[in-house]
Amino acid sequence: MTTGLHTGSGAPARPAPAASGPVQPDAPGRRRPAGGSARAGQARGFVMALPPILIIALFIGVPIVLAFGFSLGFTGGLNHTIALIGQNVHEAQGLPTFGAYGDMFADRRFLGDLIVTVVVTLVSTAVVVLLAVAIGLYLKFADGVIAKALSALAVVPLFIPVVIASWAILGFYSADGFLRSVAAQFGVDFPVWSFTMVTVIIGSVWTSLPFATLLVTSGLQAVPRAMIDAARDAGASFARVVASVVIPMAGVPIVIATTFTAIGILGSFTVPYFTGPNSPNMLGVDMSNYFSAFNQPQQAVVMAFVVFAIASGIAAVYVWANFRSAKENAGKQAVR
Amino acid sequence: MTSNPTLSRAASHAADSATAPASDGAASDGAPRTGGAPRTGGLDIKGLTKVLGGRTIIDSLDMAVRPGELVSLLGPSGCGKTTTLRMIAGFLTPDSGSIMVGGREVVHLGPEQRPSAMVFQNYALWPHMTVAKNVAFPLRLRNRPRLSKAVIAERVDAALALVNLLHHKDSRPARISGGEQQRTALARALVQEPQLLLLDEPLSNLDAKLRVKVREDIREIQQRLGITTLIVTHDQEEAMSMSDRIAVMNQGRIEQFSTPAELYSAPATEFVATFVGSLNRVEGRIEEGRIVAGGGVLGIRPEDVAFVEDGDSGSSADAGLPATVERVVPRGHFAELTVRREDAVLRSFATGAPPAVGARGRAHIAKWLEFEDGKLVRKGSA
Repeated sequence: MTTGLHTGSGAPARPAPAASGPVQPDAPGRRRPAGGSARAGQARGFVMALPPILIIALFIGVPIVLAFGFSLGFTGGLNHTIALIGQNVHEAQGLPTFGAYGDMFADRRFLGDLIVTVVVTLVSTAVVVLLAVAIGLYLKFADGVIAKALSALAVVPLFIPVVIASWAILGFYSADGFLRSVAAQFGVDFPVWSFTMVTVIIGSVWTSLPFATLLVTSGLQAVPRAMIDAARDAGASFARVVASVVIPMAGVPIVIATTFTAIGILGSFTVPYFTGPNSPNMLGVDMSNYFSAFNQPQQAVVMAFVVFAIASGIAAVYVWANFRSAKENAGKQAVR
Repeated sequence: MTSNPTLSRAASHAADSATAPASDGAASDGAPRTGGAPRTGGLDIKGLTKVLGGRTIIDSLDMAVRPGELVSLLGPSGCGKTTTLRMIAGFLTPDSGSIMVGGREVVHLGPEQRPSAMVFQNYALWPHMTVAKNVAFPLRLRNRPRLSKAVIAERVDAALALVNLLHHKDSRPARISGGEQQRTALARALVQEPQLLLLDEPLSNLDAKLRVKVREDIREIQQRLGITTLIVTHDQEEAMSMSDRIAVMNQGRIEQFSTPAELYSAPATEFVATFVGSLNRVEGRIEEGRIVAGGGVLGIRPEDVAFVEDGDSGSSADAGLPATVERVVPRGHFAELTVRREDAVLRSFATGAPPAVGARGRAHIAKWLEFEDGKLVRKGSA
């Protein structure tokens, strides 16, 4: 045995490895019953997660509950001051009142703004997703200088503040703006788009496109080359490869990008405030007007809850997409 | 019936063979061993060249695969075998050369227009489609003639029956095992009725036991359909056990293209001899059973080195030179010995009870290969 060579000088033989290596002075402490250790770990994790939970509950959860109560006419407690200052406040007499909601849904201005908000959100989101998918597909299949330049250009708007971009868009499409000036040189009377919903849509697309492009492009890039090759080998044309393989396989990131974009545009303020008309305009601007200019905080809160309800519908799609993604991953894990 | 008669016939055969073993075993010696009449065209490659990044990956490659034959492209990583396969499938455009499938030039066609179908290394099954939809996809793309849903369903069932996967037709690929995914990919390729079936490292993602089973399945189906097949592999055992012929590739060229038996017994180059099977490579030549300096390089298969322990009797008990066993590695049904003779250290295979390390005896070289400038010049025997 080789150990005989080491112990030949009379030195005591080393203890057997099983008795030496892994056992450390603090090892007995680590060998507590698994249940106790798991409970301690859970408690430690909960304490570590507590500060952000408390902050969210205190600064977001409580105001939401208060605002919802205020919209239903509960004007006591922490809602007392705002109820005193605000005009046209409906007060609950024991039971909640839907007076403020009734006010808003009877108001043609609000209904017009609601329709504009939904239409701008739908159109802008559709344009953003189409452009993001088109850019993503180009980057997926094309290689070279143009593709590299495009991938760099696509994220540029992320680094330009929205307020600056809004002013630039406003000036570009205004009555004396660049576009009309150039068109006039050729005798063309280009329409004025400033302070219309067209600039709101253009501005919304500009601000939302980079993030959506990043999400969609990464989703499309994750589709393995072999999946595309297999479809081509099966006889699929480029359009069929895209429609049947690439887009469905990047479905979850595309849905997530769509929901992020839609929620972002739905609650946007800066772009419609700077580039949109006085009326109708998007609910983000309207909320601000009702809250500060018209001093009707309860009606502003009602608008906020209407937007929140629409956003919740969009968020449900996001949750479904994440659930599907998790399910697919779980399926892959199960087979492995 | 409007569906593919070959697949349907093969599928019914598959059902029969579930109870009775296939009669045509896997020989390794020669011409194609297709079960039925070959129904597909051969492959003829001439002067195929591909340069990538200034490096010649494929260098004027010529190869002819006969109809119904199963040929393996065997070689180490980076030898250009997958590049060759991708050029044949149409995913890469060669810089020059010609690729004929069934007598028709296809080099200018895209992969969607070629009469070949490929099974990818990672199977490339579309995860958002069920097994049946994966297999049906190529059929749904057909325009001339457009196939009805009933015909597509019939052909998909026939292809899935062929690979024994009918029970999984509604499963998603993520829910079936690696071997089943492999068979789904095979069904998806076969349903296209290609003239040429291409398989890129088809067994590399399977565990050792499953690999043996799937390679037998592939071979059996290939023989039954008589489909011309080209397999890329780096696994010599896989190539030897499945192929009618093997093309051993090295640095973008085919070193040797012959039957597995010929490849092993008469390797054309030192590279082939080293790559296929085990080999004792010794510099020198053999004179009167003794390795002496000079000449080229000797290649001696371990099974051609016989070690007889002192005191044992046998036909070669007195032959060879005195030797000592330095190492014994059990390999299951045989043992690999390292024996030291006065002229060289050689590996030998011993069946039965292996000698102990340090055992003395005589080691005799029965057969050897002589190489000069990397090429086989002589086969010698004692």
